[in-house]
Amino acid sequence: MIHSVMKRDGRIVLYDESKIAGAILKALDATGEGNASDAAKIANAVHAKLEEQTMDGEPPRIEQIQDAVEYELMKEGYETTAKAYILYRANRTRIREANTSLMRTIDEITNVDARQSDMKRDNANIDGNTAMGSMLQIGTAGAKAYNEAYLLTPEQAKAHREGDIHIHDFDFYSLTTTCCQIDIIKLFKGGFSTGHGFLREPQGIASYAALAAIAIQSNQNDQHGGQSIPNFDYGMALGVAKTFRKSYTRKLTESVEDLLDQESQEDTVKALVDQVKTAVGDGPRLETDVAEFDGRLAKLLAEQYGFAPERAQHLVATVRRRATRETDRATYQAMEGFVHNLNTMHSRAGAQTPFSSINYGTDTSPEGRMVIRNILMATDAGLGHGETCIFPIHIFKVKEGVNYNEGDPNYDLFKLSCKVSAKRLFPNYVFLDSPFNLQYYKPGHPETEVATMGCRTRVMGNVYDPDRQISFSRGNLSFTSINLPRLAIESHGDEALFYKKLDQMMDLVAKQLLDRFEIQAEKHVYNFPFLMGQGVWLDSDKLGPNDTVREVLKHGTLSIGFIGLAETLTSLYGHHHGESKEMQEKGLAIVRHMREYCDRKSQAMRMNFTLLATPAEGLSGRFVRMDQKRYGKIPGVTDREYYTNSFHVPVWYPISAFDKIQIEAPYHALTNAGHISYVELDGDTANNVEAFESVVRCMHDAGIGYGSINHPVDRDPVCGYVGVIGDVCPRCGRREGEPISEAKLRELRKMYPGGVPTFCGCE
Amino acid sequence: MAAMQRQSVVGKDVPFERIRRITGYLVGTMDKWNDAKKAEEHDRVKHGLGPNA
Repeated sequence: MIHSVMKRDGRIVLYDESKIAGAILKALDATGEGNASDAAKIANAVHAKLEEQTMDGEPPRIEQIQDAVEYELMKEGYETTAKAYILYRANRTRIREANTSLMRTIDEITNVDARQSDMKRDNANIDGNTAMGSMLQIGTAGAKAYNEAYLLTPEQAKAHREGDIHIHDFDFYSLTTTCCQIDIIKLFKGGFSTGHGFLREPQGIASYAALAAIAIQSNQNDQHGGQSIPNFDYGMALGVAKTFRKSYTRKLTESVEDLLDQESQEDTVKALVDQVKTAVGDGPRLETDVAEFDGRLAKLLAEQYGFAPERAQHLVATVRRRATRETDRATYQAMEGFVHNLNTMHSRAGAQTPFSSINYGTDTSPEGRMVIRNILMATDAGLGHGETCIFPIHIFKVKEGVNYNEGDPNYDLFKLSCKVSAKRLFPNYVFLDSPFNLQYYKPGHPETEVATMGCRTRVMGNVYDPDRQISFSRGNLSFTSINLPRLAIESHGDEALFYKKLDQMMDLVAKQLLDRFEIQAEKHVYNFPFLMGQGVWLDSDKLGPNDTVREVLKHGTLSIGFIGLAETLTSLYGHHHGESKEMQEKGLAIVRHMREYCDRKSQAMRMNFTLLATPAEGLSGRFVRMDQKRYGKIPGVTDREYYTNSFHVPVWYPISAFDKIQIEAPYHALTNAGHISYVELDGDTANNVEAFESVVRCMHDAGIGYGSINHPVDRDPVCGYVGVIGDVCPRCGRREGEPISEAKLRELRKMYPGGVPTFCGCE
Repeated sequence: MAAMQRQSVVGKDVPFERIRRITGYLVGTMDKWNDAKKAEEHDRVKHGLGPNA
């Protein structure tokens, strides 16, 4: 007789045949193959079978009972029901295993030092050793387990799990979208709200810069990727103009009061300035309408106070000089504060510094130029102890006629940007003259200038709304990358087979991106209080709080990425594209094929499918580890710890900067979702500003979209030296970890006043 | 005595900071990089400015 049952965890519970009948009935109901009496009959048969199988008094196990149910269903001809029951069982097992693996993951997050756990260093911007960092990682692990079990189709789940594809930001699968270019001018106009009180429209450069940092932080909390400002110079210039106007009137008041030895001229002076403002059409402006505005004002002053004309003119000239100087200082301080803010503020439960980027370089107004010069100078100076700023990523927009050639209005700022980048690694460069960027460019319309997210995400074309092919207020919705080398390995040199596999994989990814879009599209404005609630995203200002975001999201992009073109070519043909012209043609053919797929998909769906040269932080190792297990170490393909980034020439391959740029540039034209090329310079070359600039010019002339130059930037926190440090610090002579004497430190302070930290965190 | 000895030198066990770029972003030190990216950074060769490598 059967009295009890052994559960999976080993507990013994009372045997209850009606529970078996209940489970069978559920399956029969689902397929429509039978009713309650059929279920009871099968349960009876199951009971009899269990009696046969088990020794007297030994409780049957759950798995054994389920096997018996399957057997009886099949035997009695309920084939569809049996199939449904088996699938249901398999799915339950998958979820159970996910739960177990989830607990193991959480155990690792809780107990293992991040230095020992690669998983905890998956995102280099999160400190996995801190409380908030760990909490974020536990949430991530839970969300991933849920998303895989419930939101992906079995086919997608398998492809993601086994490394055919990688669904990026998978933890946020059901929650939000990637990133946005925040139009800071539109946001500030009339003020905005962060959810805890309303912020009035800022009235000077200090508050402009402070609120810009807050905007980035607020939006970062609504999305899973980074945040960027596409018009940093144009936006901050408005704050500079306000600061100058105030400073001019204040300095004028003070000068007049000094002359008269009175304290009561504020209203009179303001009335005079207003009078000129009415006549000229604008208040006092930095370096603009100088002769007319100052001339009229001097005349009025002379009349009002009986000053000699020359004296009045001299007074106004002095006022202008001082107001300009004061505005410049205020701008520098504002930019310094902005950079400090972005390196110290946190978002996402305090676990992350916001990923922030700013684009600038093309505003030629005196105010815009003042912004650009000062943000570069603040970056050049570094943080409190001269540390290189990690955030924001600076992107200098290079444009012929604006800043590229001698005689262009912002050429001096382009030169300055090279000097700063040669020391501090930023700015990077986006090239508006490259044909695929130039096609959108309309002079006088900054929104048509291509801006990029620092990581490389580029959103410009718009098949959903062809009149809005702009960078402002848009971003990526989600992206998924294809493991290209695996497709090549499994094609065994058969090119046609490779392309067939590639098409199948792109179909799978496109479908998955659309499935994810369906989840995103059903969200409401209230799910994104800043991004949508404050009208940051394009057309979201036309929606109410309870509207779904489906239509406006279509301004964004769904991107298909790829990794390891070099290894793919080596696997298929024996060489990579850095090695021969023939391989370059093969490489371009593959990437062009993918781009054409995206374009066709865009037309068919009237949504923006774009091709991404994937930024592969965690991915570069994940794919190759799995492929090494499957295929072993294939020379030139799986024999390193990482796959090469997107279409890059492998980092280990010796090549000149010029050749590397020429080879990679044509891929920029094809990867419309974003791309970046790096050139690695040694420390001495980077310190040579002419050499540095020649690399940037080479990128521009070759048709690169977005590029940056890497060079070693080391710092000794003890003596404050910034530059290249080999084994020994060139300034204080210590080796890593060695102390220096206090006497030596005092001596260095005398030699480098202000350049040696007074507190290095190590005392 | 021990305290005085500690004060007489500065910087024991303090590492150098090495700033590098990873997927477009800078990272303050490489402690937080994952293993694959550490390996990639290690393999990076410099690019000369001449016409050939």
